[in-house]
Amino acid sequence: METIDQNPPLVVCDAGPLIHLDELGSLDLLTDFPDVLVPDAVWREVDLHRPGVLTSPVVRLRRVAPRLAEPPELEAMAQVLGLHTGEWEALRVAIEHQPGILLTDDSAARLAAANLGIHAHGTIGILLRSIRRLQRSKNEILTVLRTLPVRSSLHLKRSLLDSVIREVENA
Amino acid sequence: MKMTLIQAELPPELTARARSYVEDGWAADFNELLADALRRFLESHTARVTEAFVMDDVQWGLHGND
Repeated sequence: METIDQNPPLVVCDAGPLIHLDELGSLDLLTDFPDVLVPDAVWREVDLHRPGVLTSPVVRLRRVAPRLAEPPELEAMAQVLGLHTGEWEALRVAIEHQPGILLTDDSAARLAAANLGIHAHGTIGILLRSIRRLQRSKNEILTVLRTLPVRSSLHLKRSLLDSVIREVENA
Repeated sequence: MKMTLIQAELPPELTARARSYVEDGWAADFNELLADALRRFLESHTARVTEAFVMDDVQWGLHGND
């Protein structure tokens, strides 16, 4: 199939998707990417809130620090959008590893990414992508989505989650 | 405009930076700076923005090519 023959890019993770995917028993979905980078600040945040993610046997995470000076446009964006240290560092690392994908569930970080030309997606994207990449069946992901409010700290408005579920059902 | 009094705990470093910002003349006072920061946060976290990102995830997840 054409879709699974394409080479996926590396991903740079913010804390949210790592924590949410682990809560949903779906951390292994990240193994589909050739490299999973976790910036220092994000690593510390995950270590504080869900340390098991960092030693999980299902996926190899690579701890990295930003190497280049912070781009002025990112500094301005971080101030305007009130980005946290982890989000800000994840954006820095993502800029250094283009064309990678930034994984974040934070709206402000995604706004900043869009303004900086960085491809960004979140937990929902990774879950649904797993159907296309044949990592999970449609029914398995529907089960995850339907139980998401009670299994995960990812907060989605009920009507929005229902829309996502309908999209998957009709796909 | 009717104002609401709130009490919040802030990290000392953040408070010091904010006060310095006010002292340099970039904001009229501490209250204005806090209100502006809160307004900007809420603007960037509106339901409309969040929903757009989630639906973008749906399209990428189901129909993307990477």
